[in-house]
Amino acid sequence: MLILFQQLLNALALGGAYSLVALGLTLVYGVMKIPNFAHGSLYMVGAYVTWALLTDFGVPYFLALGLAAVALGLLAMLLERLVFYPLRGSPGVSPMIAAIGVLFFLEACVQLIWGPDFKLLNSPVTGIITFAGLSLTGQRLLMIVASVLVMLALFYFLKRTTTGATIEAMAQNREGARLVGIPVGRVASLTFFISGALAAVAAALYAPTSLVSPSMGEIMNLKVFAIIVLGGMGSVPGAIVGAFLLAFAEIFGGVFVGANFADVVGFAVLVIVLAIRPQGLFGRTA
Amino acid sequence: MLEVRDLSVRYGVYTALHGINLQVKPGEIVVLLGANGAGKSSLFRTLSGLQRPSQGEATYDGQLLTLGRPERCVNLGVAQCPEGRLLFSQLSVEKNLRLGGYTHRRDAAGNQAELERIYQLFPVLAEKRSDPAGSLSGGQQQMVAIGRALMARPKLLLLDEPSLGLAPLVVDQVFDAVVRVNEAGVSVLLAEQNAFAALGIAHRAYVLEGGRVTIEGSRDELLHDDRVRSAYLGV
Ligand SMILES: Nc1ncnc2c1ncn2[C@@H]1O[C@H](COP(=O)(O)OP(=O)(O)OP(=O)(O)O)[C@@H](O)[C@H]1O
Ligand SMILES: [Mg+2]
Repeated sequence: MLILFQQLLNALALGGAYSLVALGLTLVYGVMKIPNFAHGSLYMVGAYVTWALLTDFGVPYFLALGLAAVALGLLAMLLERLVFYPLRGSPGVSPMIAAIGVLFFLEACVQLIWGPDFKLLNSPVTGIITFAGLSLTGQRLLMIVASVLVMLALFYFLKRTTTGATIEAMAQNREGARLVGIPVGRVASLTFFISGALAAVAAALYAPTSLVSPSMGEIMNLKVFAIIVLGGMGSVPGAIVGAFLLAFAEIFGGVFVGANFADVVGFAVLVIVLAIRPQGLFGRTA
Repeated sequence: MLEVRDLSVRYGVYTALHGINLQVKPGEIVVLLGANGAGKSSLFRTLSGLQRPSQGEATYDGQLLTLGRPERCVNLGVAQCPEGRLLFSQLSVEKNLRLGGYTHRRDAAGNQAELERIYQLFPVLAEKRSDPAGSLSGGQQQMVAIGRALMARPKLLLLDEPSLGLAPLVVDQVFDAVVRVNEAGVSVLLAEQNAFAALGIAHRAYVLEGGRVTIEGSRDELLHDDRVRSAYLGV
């Protein structure tokens, strides 16, 4: 029984990290109607930037997290201006192929700068909290708390501020948004900034519990695309529910089926859900 | 005052509007009659900056509208309630209306006052303020679309076929509201196929056929024009 509770906490921490990455991807999809296949590489670069700030520059952890968020937000904005903006209005697959190109480009850049081998990001939050036989590393606790706080802040921003409302408005009706005078180009930039910043925050939170490597972006890409397909493309609640569903499936799949099959269980859930609800959990049939 | 001079719009090789000339003076309700495909929406989209003209220009109070920048048109006092409404269907009625006041976002008090005025104009929207706009009936959605355009506090309101698909009683309600908006000092350019109802509230009208203005005149002139009577009034 105790081990299940233990795994529950681990799944919550993992789900929090997945949520942050998936939220950025789903927001960008909602606003631009393009799947940003380069999204996973933002997460990967975010992890390296955090790692470099911590080890090469000795920046304190929380400052490194903040700086990485801003840096990746700006990188995502640049990506939108240089790749997606010029391709607007071109046939469907061009932006997708360009995004895959960006994924490989960023991966190659990181290999060039930091080398192909794994890096260890030491957990800055040490200590283990033990309560009623359950133990939680400080880093996992931080992952849970920080991801919940970031999600609450994002919700407040989307639901309660005018600028946040412009993101939802543009996602639901781009022409309607233009007609009321919303500058859709700026909203697109802002949405990319948020997606990059969220990916970097997730990376800074999650990387200390795993390893940092150039290929981590592709793996995360696969997972977050599974998540937003599961939740319904463009849906914000769908991204969160999908993220926790995948995290739980992976962790408990690892417990019951064996750790080597953890990823298989995650994708089995995806296949089953899509067989029953092809539009995803929160998706609308077009 | 809206002035459209020699305005043409092309989609690739197809020319939808051929050198349109048209004015809307302050305080007027001007109706634009035209069958399907005549080019009414093309003109409206161009006046709102969604579409660039291939030739000619349109100005409001001397300022160019035809730069392809919708936010500029709204800021100059020209707001559109578009064909198909283009609402934010999962957002609440009130949020749709508030987004209509986006260009006045630094004037919260003014937006609140305008919102109250719109709830007076369409009391049913006050009842449904928390419902997703997409859950409303067609007529109610049309009211949201008009209300959203009015939240921009326009000097000129562009209404593209607001009666489309509505029951006669609801059409009357919508047109009553248009008259009241006009009486409050907003000039109106109204595109319609429902000629009888539209001419009933118009000061002047233009007839658009195949992308050209073929007839123009006062309401009474059009009501007595044989071509209008046979083609649009069915008499
Ligand atoms: N984006 C577009 N691309 C190509 N052709 C277009 C486009 N939009 C409109 N057209 C064409 O331009 C012509 C005028 O269309 P428009 O929508 O302006 O007419 P309308 O008077 O508004 O018609 P309706 O009453 O059916 O709304 C039509 O022949 C239409 O097929
Ligand atoms: Mg039309």
